[in-house]
Amino acid sequence: MDNYAYRKFKNRLFFILSLACVIIAIIPLLSILFEVIIRGASQINLQFLVSVNGIGPAIQGTLILIGLTSLIGIPLGIMSGIYLSEYGNNRYASWMRTFNDLLTEFPSIVVGITVSVVVVVGLIGSFSAIAGAIALSIMLIPIVARTTEESLKLVPNSVREASMALGVYRWKTILRVVLPAGKSGLITGALLAVARIAGETAPLIMTVLGSRYFFQGLFEPMASLPITIWRSALQPSAAVQAQGWGAALVLILIVLSLNIGVRLVSRGRMRK
Amino acid sequence: MTRLLDTGLEQLTVLVYKSGEVAKCAIDLSIKGFMEGKDETKAVRELSDFVSSMTVEIENKAFELIVKYQPVASDLRIINSYMKIAYDFERYGRYAWDISLTHKRLGALGECAVASDLMPKLVEKVSEMVSKSVKALREHDAELAKTLAETENEVDALYFAYLEQLSKARAQSKCVMCNLLVSRYLERIADHTTYVGEAIVYIASGEKLSLR
Amino acid sequence: MKILKRTKRSTEIAEETPIEEKILKNEKMQSIKLNAWFGDKHVLKNISLSVKANSVTAIIGPSGCGKSTLIRCFNRMHELVPNARMSGKVLLDGRNIYSREVDPVLIRRRVGMVFQKPNPFPTMSIYDNVAAGLRLTGVKKGHNLNEVVERSLKQATLWDEVKDDLKKSGTSISGGQQQRLCIARAISLKPEVILMDEPCSALDPIATAKIEELIVYLKRAYTVVIVTHNMQQAARVSDFTAFLYLGELVEYGDTRSIFEGPKNELTEKYITGKFG
Repeated sequence: MDNYAYRKFKNRLFFILSLACVIIAIIPLLSILFEVIIRGASQINLQFLVSVNGIGPAIQGTLILIGLTSLIGIPLGIMSGIYLSEYGNNRYASWMRTFNDLLTEFPSIVVGITVSVVVVVGLIGSFSAIAGAIALSIMLIPIVARTTEESLKLVPNSVREASMALGVYRWKTILRVVLPAGKSGLITGALLAVARIAGETAPLIMTVLGSRYFFQGLFEPMASLPITIWRSALQPSAAVQAQGWGAALVLILIVLSLNIGVRLVSRGRMRK
Repeated sequence: MTRLLDTGLEQLTVLVYKSGEVAKCAIDLSIKGFMEGKDETKAVRELSDFVSSMTVEIENKAFELIVKYQPVASDLRIINSYMKIAYDFERYGRYAWDISLTHKRLGALGECAVASDLMPKLVEKVSEMVSKSVKALREHDAELAKTLAETENEVDALYFAYLEQLSKARAQSKCVMCNLLVSRYLERIADHTTYVGEAIVYIASGEKLSLR
Repeated sequence: MKILKRTKRSTEIAEETPIEEKILKNEKMQSIKLNAWFGDKHVLKNISLSVKANSVTAIIGPSGCGKSTLIRCFNRMHELVPNARMSGKVLLDGRNIYSREVDPVLIRRRVGMVFQKPNPFPTMSIYDNVAAGLRLTGVKKGHNLNEVVERSLKQATLWDEVKDDLKKSGTSISGGQQQRLCIARAISLKPEVILMDEPCSALDPIATAKIEELIVYLKRAYTVVIVTHNMQQAARVSDFTAFLYLGELVEYGDTRSIFEGPKNELTEKYITGKFG
C-alpha cells in the first residue's frame, strides 16, 4: 500500500512539474502580448492605420511583401517538396533534403546581406521591394518544401499504387491523386510558413530599406511593419516610439489571425 | 506436426479396421457352418449386426471430419474411401448372414456340399480374398489390393463352371438351390472385395482403377 | 532508346514485337523463365506458367513465397519498387510485355490490379472513383462517363447498393463495398486480365463470399489471376491452381486434380496443412 501511494505521488509530481514548465514557457509570450496591447492599443484609430503619417504605408508594404513572397516562394517550395517526396528515394535527394533543412536554419541576417549584395547592388541598383520579396522567399522555400514533403508522405502509398495500377502516368498520379489527397496539409503548411516569415526583420533591412511613402514601384524601397517597428524603437521621441508599439500590435494581429485562421479552417475540414 | 484432423482420422481408421475384422469373422464363421453342416445363424447374425452398426458410426465420423476440417488431397481420398469400404464390409456381413440363413432354411446339406470339388475351391479362394482385402486396408497396400483382380477372375471362372455343373446335376432340387444360392453369395462377396481393393488403390495413388 | 511506340490502338503492343514461341491455344498470359530480385534477394526463380483466357487461376503458397511479386511482374508494377529487377519474359497474347518498345503504363491498362486492402481514392466520390480510370488515362473520346460508371458498378455487383448516392465519398462505404468499388474502377478500363492480390484478406466472411461470387462471374468476360493464402478459397473459385514455394513453381494444374490428388509431395503437404 505504501509503495502504491509513493508511486502515485511520483506520478503526480511529474505531472505538476511538466505543467509548471509549460506555464513558465507561456508566461513570456503572454506578457509580450500584454505589453504590446497595452502600449499599442491607444494608437489604433483609422487615421493611424490608413494615412501616410501613420503606418498606412507600412501595412501596405507588409501585405505586398506577403503577397510577393507567397507568389514566388510557395510554388517553388511545393514543387521542391513534391520532388523530395515522390522522386526522392535516392542518394542525391537525401543530400538535397539535408541541405534544405540547413537552409531553414540559416541566420536571416545572412540571407539579407547576401541578397543585398547580389540583387540590390548587383542586379537592380537600389533597395527595392522585389529584393525584399526575394530574400523572404529564400527563407520561405525550404520551410514550405519540408511541410509539403511531410504532408505528401502522409498520403498512403496504396493510393499511389492504385493509380499506377490503372495505367496512369506518374506525373498525372502526383497531380491528380496525390496532391489532392495531401491538399489540406499542404495548404496549412504553406500558410503557416508565410505567417512565420511575415514578421522577419533582418532580411528586410538591407533589401527593402524602408520608406515613409506608399508603394512606389517594385524596384523602389518600400515601407514595412517590422522596419517601422525597429526604426521607431531607435528614435528618442516618445511619440514615435508609441507609433512603433501600434505597428507592433498590428503586426502581431496580422500574424495571429493568419495562424488562427488557418488552423480553424483545417479543423473545420477535418470534421467534415 | 499433428493436425486437428489427424486425431479424427485415427479414430476413423480404427473403426474401419475393426469393422473389417468382424466382417471377416462373420464370413469365415458362416462358411465353416455351411461346409460342416452346423447352424451358426445366431452367431453370424450378431456379428453382421455389429458390422452394420459400425458402418453407421463410420459414416457419421467421416461426415464430422468433412464438416469440420474441409479435407483435401490424401485426407479427402482416405475419408471417401473409408466410407465406401465401410459399406462393402457391411455387405460382407450381410452375405455371411445370407449364407448361414440359406443353410438354415434349406436344411443341412453336408453331402450336397462335397459332391463337387469346385465348391471347396470357391470357398477357399473367396476366403483368401476377404483376408487379403482386410490386410491391404490395414497397410494401405495398393499392390496387394491389385492382386485381387486376378483372384477375382479365378473366382468368376470357378463360379460359372460350378453353375454348369449344377445345371446338369441329378440331385434333389433343394440341394441344387442351396448350392446355387451360396455360390452366388460367394461370388458377390468376391466382387465386394475388389471394390475394397479399388478404394485402397485410390487412397494410395488417386487412381480410379477397375479391378474387375 | 525508344521511349514508346504507339500504333493505331494506343494500348496495343507494337507490331514489331514478335509473337513468342508457339503459344498454346487459349493462353492469355504466360511467364517464361521469370526471375525477380529485390536488391540481392532472389525472390522468384525461373517461373514458367501460363494463364488461360476466361479462367480463374489461383496462386497459392506460404507467406513470403513470392506470390505477390509474381503477379506484380505480370503488370509491370514490380519495377516501381526501388532496387527491384527482373529477367525473363512475360507474354500477353503471345507478345513480351517487357520488350524495350513497350510502355509499361499501357500494359497496366490492359492488365488491371486489385489490392489486398481496398484503396479507393480518398478525395473522390464513388462516381469519381470509377470514372477516374477513364479520366486519368485520357481515354475519354466517345465515352459516356455515366454509362461506363453504371456498367462497371453493375458488373461489380455494387450498383444496386450505391446507385442512389454516387456522390458519397469513396471511403464512406463498408470494406466489402470499397473492395467492389476498386474492382469496378479496375474494370472500367475494360482490361483483358484482372490480377487480384489477396482481395478478401481484409474482409469479413459475407463480403468475402460476395467477392468470390463476383470473381466467378467476372471470368466470363475477363481472365482472372488471384493470389490467396486461403486454400479453400482457391478451391472454390479457381479453375487452375499454381503452388509456389520459396520462389519456385512447385506444381501447376487444374484445381480439381491439385486438391484431389496432387502429384508433388510438397504440394500435398502444404494443402493438407502439414506445414506452412
